[in-house]
Amino acid sequence: MAKNDVISVENNITKKDFRKVFWRSFTLLGSFNYEKMEGLAYLYCIEHILKKIYKDDEEGLKQAMLRESAAFNMTIAPAPFVMGISIAMEESVKRDPNFDPASINAIKVSLMGPLSGIGDTFFWGIFRILACSLSIGFAKAGNPIAPFILLILFNIPTFLTRYYGLKIGYTSGNQLLIDLEKSGKMQLFTYCAGILGVAAIGCMIASWVTVSCPLEFTISGNKIVIQEYLDQIMPKLLPLAATLGIYSAIKKEYQNHKDYFSNRSDWICIRCIWHYCPIGGYYGYSRSTCGRSFDSWPSLWLLDSTV
Amino acid sequence: MTFIQALLIGLIAGLTVLDGNWLGEAKFREPVVTGFLVGLALGDVTKGLKVGAELQLLWMGATGIGPTAQLDIGTGGTIGAAVAIMTGKGAETAILFGVPVAVVMQFINTLLIASYSGLMHKVDNDIEAGNFKSIALTHHFCNWATFALYSLVAFVAMYFGHGVIQAIADGLPAWANAGLNGVAALLPALGFALLLNIIFEKDLTPYLIIGFVLAAYAGQAITMVGITLIAFAIAMIIYQIRSNQGTVVQSASALDDEWED
Repeated sequence: MAKNDVISVENNITKKDFRKVFWRSFTLLGSFNYEKMEGLAYLYCIEHILKKIYKDDEEGLKQAMLRESAAFNMTIAPAPFVMGISIAMEESVKRDPNFDPASINAIKVSLMGPLSGIGDTFFWGIFRILACSLSIGFAKAGNPIAPFILLILFNIPTFLTRYYGLKIGYTSGNQLLIDLEKSGKMQLFTYCAGILGVAAIGCMIASWVTVSCPLEFTISGNKIVIQEYLDQIMPKLLPLAATLGIYSAIKKEYQNHKDYFSNRSDWICIRCIWHYCPIGGYYGYSRSTCGRSFDSWPSLWLLDSTV
Repeated sequence: MTFIQALLIGLIAGLTVLDGNWLGEAKFREPVVTGFLVGLALGDVTKGLKVGAELQLLWMGATGIGPTAQLDIGTGGTIGAAVAIMTGKGAETAILFGVPVAVVMQFINTLLIASYSGLMHKVDNDIEAGNFKSIALTHHFCNWATFALYSLVAFVAMYFGHGVIQAIADGLPAWANAGLNGVAALLPALGFALLLNIIFEKDLTPYLIIGFVLAAYAGQAITMVGITLIAFAIAMIIYQIRSNQGTVVQSASALDDEWED
């Protein structure tokens, strides 16, 4: 019954049309390419609505389609918000001949950076960490509920973001974002979410990094196990030192190669694995074969040094 | 490794591609999920989950941020878990095979993405010509072509390559195994460091300490859920205090104005 509620009377756009945009927005990365990135998929998501808006104006429709398939790239969860804005603006273009169509892509481009920033922080940085870290505990115990915990925890926020993003983008659009920026609420919200993410990382470092010192030797009959001393200083000291050591090395790597890498996080990742595998390999090797000798010292020193 | 099993592995690898491309990054690509699915396909769910958890820790920091795709943890995790279960070895075997696969598949993906660029001009021309069907067609084609390629690669690797894989895993000397275990121990630290690189700022330091200290000292007495809830409470408190501060400052400046009047 509510399925065919008309949302925009002038163009006969119904709730059903918006639902279609919502579901199609999941395929935003389907035809990702270096030319237009998500551009074609963006057009695919709102194609049926454009056809309704420009139903009696084929030339206008072609222009609109070329316009909406322009290069676009964004973390995909907040993208429906931008689609909502696009739809509202396309309606304005049709209604008001003085409305500058170029402003649509200007808005889209101006939103790409900030919304991706927020989206990456939340969906990659925070929701993913929380969902994965909670499920790892179950998975380690072999509990088959683990994947479901991960999927449900991650997908509830993304579904809500998409659904309300589309709705709010269409009705209040750009104004809302400007208000949020001005009041500083958005930064505060991101900061508070960062608290959650960082605390979870701290917790995971202590729980799941298992670097320890295998050294022990005997001095005049007394057995001395280095790890016990380390535990007295602070439990999980070595995992913390290892993580922070690598972190500062990555930071340096980013700064040294800023121009060369710019945003290529995958290369950083590969490079890091390349650098740290030998260290880890040596650490494991010395643990297993000569774990009772001084041989493991160099590996522990290396953990702290930058690459 | 029967034909059906190899086919299922191929489909799981394909699903991890669909996850990003068609299901809105619903996180089917995470190793915990693929480990579970591979476990189902090969008949050892518990082991699949355990290997998945190890790979998950390793790839915690592999995120796709900016205009790039990430390490292909989907296919890497699928193949890694499959190899670990098939050969009956531990997570170190999964890492030995999973990490190179993740790097290679990422490279293949880059080639695919580059090749799709050419199709975009064709769509532009089609729109000009009024052939609007080409939009959906091209979009679908790109997605399903990627899906097919990934499934095929994973299937072929598992079905025709399992003998080679088994031989490599069996022939691995003890020192290499020990080394891989060391890598497995260290790589989670790398993952968390990469994560910190994304979301860490200097003024978030106290919360990193709180999370770490709670887990390090309380150990099993307080679970991850508990620590997350504590952090959530702190975040709420900070949010309330800061947003109140905002209004306080505003009303103070309003008062100032009145005084000046």
